[in-house]
Amino acid sequence: MGFQSRIVLLLSCCLAVSAPAQSSGAKRAPSEGQASIPQTTSAINSITPMSERVVWYNLDAKYDAKTHQLDGSEVLTYHNLTGQPLDHFPFHLYLNAFQPTATWIREARRMGTRDVGNYEKWKDEDFGSDEIQRMEVVGMGDVTASLHYIQPDDANKDDKTVIEAVLPRPVAPGETVVFKVKFHDKFPETQARTGYKKDFTLGGQWFPKVGVWWHGAWNCHQFHVSTEFFADFGVFDVKLTLPQDQLVGASGVEVSDVSNSDGTKTVTYHGDDIHDFAWTASPRFRVGEETYQGTMGPVKMRVMMQPEHWSQEARHAKILRQSLEHFEKWYGPYPYKTITLVDPLGQEAGGMEYPTFITGDTSWWTPDGLYLPEIVVEHEFGHQYWYGMVATNEFEDAWMDEGLNSYTEVKVLDDILGKKTSVMNLFGLTAGEHDLQRLQYIGVADLDPMTRKAWQFATLNSYGGVTYGKTASVLLTLEGVIGEDTMQRAMHTYFMRYRFKHPQKDDFLNTIEEVSGKKLNWYFDQAVSGTQVFDYKVLSLESSPTNWYEKNSKEKEGETVYESIVMVQRKADFAFPVEVLLKFENGETVREHWDGQDRWARFHYLKKSKVASAEVDPDQTIQLDRNDFDNSRTREAKSKAVNKLANFWSFAMQTLSQFLSWWIA
Amino acid sequence: MSEEKGLLQTGRSVVQRNLRYVIWFWLLNLALAWFGTLSYRGQIAPILENSLHADQFVHSFNPTAYVELLAMPQSGSMAAWTTPSYFLAGLFAMVTLLLMPGVFRQYTSEYRVSRDELCRTCGRNLWRYVRLVLLYGLSALPLTGILFGIRNALQDAAEKKALNEVLPFWVGTAMLALIFIVVTTLRIWFDLAEVDVVVRDQNAVRKSVGAGFRYMRRHWGRLIGAYAGISILALIVLIGGVWLWHILVPPSSVLGAFLISQVMMLLWLGARFWQRAVASVFYMREMLVVPSYAGFRTPETGPASVPATTPLPSPG
Repeated sequence: MGFQSRIVLLLSCCLAVSAPAQSSGAKRAPSEGQASIPQTTSAINSITPMSERVVWYNLDAKYDAKTHQLDGSEVLTYHNLTGQPLDHFPFHLYLNAFQPTATWIREARRMGTRDVGNYEKWKDEDFGSDEIQRMEVVGMGDVTASLHYIQPDDANKDDKTVIEAVLPRPVAPGETVVFKVKFHDKFPETQARTGYKKDFTLGGQWFPKVGVWWHGAWNCHQFHVSTEFFADFGVFDVKLTLPQDQLVGASGVEVSDVSNSDGTKTVTYHGDDIHDFAWTASPRFRVGEETYQGTMGPVKMRVMMQPEHWSQEARHAKILRQSLEHFEKWYGPYPYKTITLVDPLGQEAGGMEYPTFITGDTSWWTPDGLYLPEIVVEHEFGHQYWYGMVATNEFEDAWMDEGLNSYTEVKVLDDILGKKTSVMNLFGLTAGEHDLQRLQYIGVADLDPMTRKAWQFATLNSYGGVTYGKTASVLLTLEGVIGEDTMQRAMHTYFMRYRFKHPQKDDFLNTIEEVSGKKLNWYFDQAVSGTQVFDYKVLSLESSPTNWYEKNSKEKEGETVYESIVMVQRKADFAFPVEVLLKFENGETVREHWDGQDRWARFHYLKKSKVASAEVDPDQTIQLDRNDFDNSRTREAKSKAVNKLANFWSFAMQTLSQFLSWWIA
Repeated sequence: MSEEKGLLQTGRSVVQRNLRYVIWFWLLNLALAWFGTLSYRGQIAPILENSLHADQFVHSFNPTAYVELLAMPQSGSMAAWTTPSYFLAGLFAMVTLLLMPGVFRQYTSEYRVSRDELCRTCGRNLWRYVRLVLLYGLSALPLTGILFGIRNALQDAAEKKALNEVLPFWVGTAMLALIFIVVTTLRIWFDLAEVDVVVRDQNAVRKSVGAGFRYMRRHWGRLIGAYAGISILALIVLIGGVWLWHILVPPSSVLGAFLISQVMMLLWLGARFWQRAVASVFYMREMLVVPSYAGFRTPETGPASVPATTPLPSPG
């Protein structure tokens, strides 16, 4: 190859590299008269956009890592696809939830929170805020004076988590409008998976975010202690300026990392077809990177660990890779070019999902057989599908992201770690995901339906138990009705049909009915929309010789005929067809089907053997039963389990009494 | 070092010679724990005995199924079955305290103490030991309370300020080690006092407490070495026993679990008796200034009662 040829080739390569950066990479912020949402694809493995892009956020923020404050400017381009003129726009200001009079804190004091207690005493570090200093609408002027806080969910006038801007004239259907916003954030010490802890920062829900026009009205709920988020898809171009010692991870792909003369650096990120943007920074992260070859193209996996957890990096990377593989195989392709997994400092920031960016949760002591890190990583990665791409309204249909995700968590982790051991397999202790999800649900089985709006649940426990545990249990039980393969096909169809959309309950349920070819209203009405409790029981089983009246009659094995009667009861109000397996002492088995419509059923047999046991749901396809212990009954009592547990308890008490006597006497 | 080894070895010989006490206390411990489980057994048996689902506890142990079991209304309130167990655990500690004078009597005697003498010694020293345990409580509770308070404060401070997540754990562990040494020191002090009360038939327990304190202070290094060594051995027995339980015993073997757990309990109990024997041996070597006393006789001469009105002089 000659010199000239090499020069030409080099120039060609430079052009080839730079051309997509112009056409599909980060765009400059729009100015007046240039308001359109870019069709960039540099952050996804697709040559065309994958979502209907409603928003384009250009964010430029300077973060002070010492005071945990941030000054930012936001240029939001909004494409009015609502079909009607819009003259007022609500914005989420989530960080204002961390103020003593906010609805979030009031609810936290009443119901508790997932991690930081009940706020019995207010601390300065708990305070967070997101203040809009100025808002201008391009072509309409300064609208700061029109800004006012609204409280669409409650009458708490002190709640400042939603602010509304009123425009001087409406934005016509099909038009785009550009907002220029100056804002200032004060991060709290980590709460609700946002904020700082020591030298670690998780920047979540940190910029004014416009609501979603949803079924003819703005959907922009206040931030509640039990709610998550809802937003439109679009493009994010984000510049973060922070101290040079900070290692940064964020949603989307990194475009540049430039050092500034004042000891800061500016990192730039770009995201396509996402609906939120989060970032993290810490000087102490240790970072592992690898590439996963996805079905749509390579995915850069970035695992950012706390240094004390570095020995678990391979463990985190492994489960992330396995989750990617399973989701791509079972539900659909992962189109993004990156996935960043952050191991945060402190549990308060652990277990959170943002588009292409998730947080794990582990401790330095977590043993190999305790799969809590795997559960969290898989779960949060699953949200890339159920929330990230299938972007349901987390305020109103929490079960559709958390619940569906808990269901796929069971499927994926059971496949990777084993059905009976997908939670732990440690020193003879075993537990599986099925058990864990069911356990969450059975304590709150009769309080709330799955379809309850997230902030309207009776208690935080009910929200968690029903949204996560019950939904997973309902879908696992549904597998027994339509088949596991059909259920997987339905989930795949649902994902492919509704990715980059905002589906609702009927979209999901109708998809299942369509794929399975079965009418399932009878089930969904009870399980999804209702609060019916599922509780079946083997009421009794007995066998007596038919010749009982004969004098000097002796029972002879294989000759005496016994009348066996087995009764099965539906104790609660959830009616469901069940199988009943009866075993006789001679090894014979009989399988009965009961439609469960009546309160009880009686089965009657005349056989030359006594009935040994009866079991409702012998294949264990039902996850919803509130009490599994009474689903079976043996005629003869067996004391082994009781003896084993009593021995454990006795050992524990002996240890306690010896410990006491060691120090007292 | 050799002297300390001698203390440990002699103490062990004393325990071995009088192994029956360890066996009795172990049987008592087992019996009380068994009674304590009756209520628990009574509550879970109706749920489990006829259920196939109970197999989850037989071939492995599923913690989620156990939580479900305890949370069931049919299981009744936890207090209903934990209270009797806790009461009987406390009772064992009390019974140990009240029978300990007899054990010390034997450990400081070269002949086999008769049952009558053992009972007399226990009865004679009952109120003295109650006073001793009250004094011990008055010393130990405030001290350990303060130390645990310091531990929590240091751990909280480490959690708040240290960047390294592991540091609070080590701070807490170091403080626990310190608390262990302090409480073991108290235990040595009062073990010596308990021996002194028995050997000298000391009615004024404050004198025994004073003597115990003086000797514990003078010989702290030797004694804490012996006590801490035995305690560490006991901890190894407990951890090793649980590990062997996990490795050797099939999940479904209730008998295997029972046997290995009881061997652990027996060894654990033996460890504490070893410490008491060390205290007795030390006392006889170092604290008994009078060559012989009325209650410490050789088998040839036979036992005789110690007149309560003529106590031996306290060791200086």
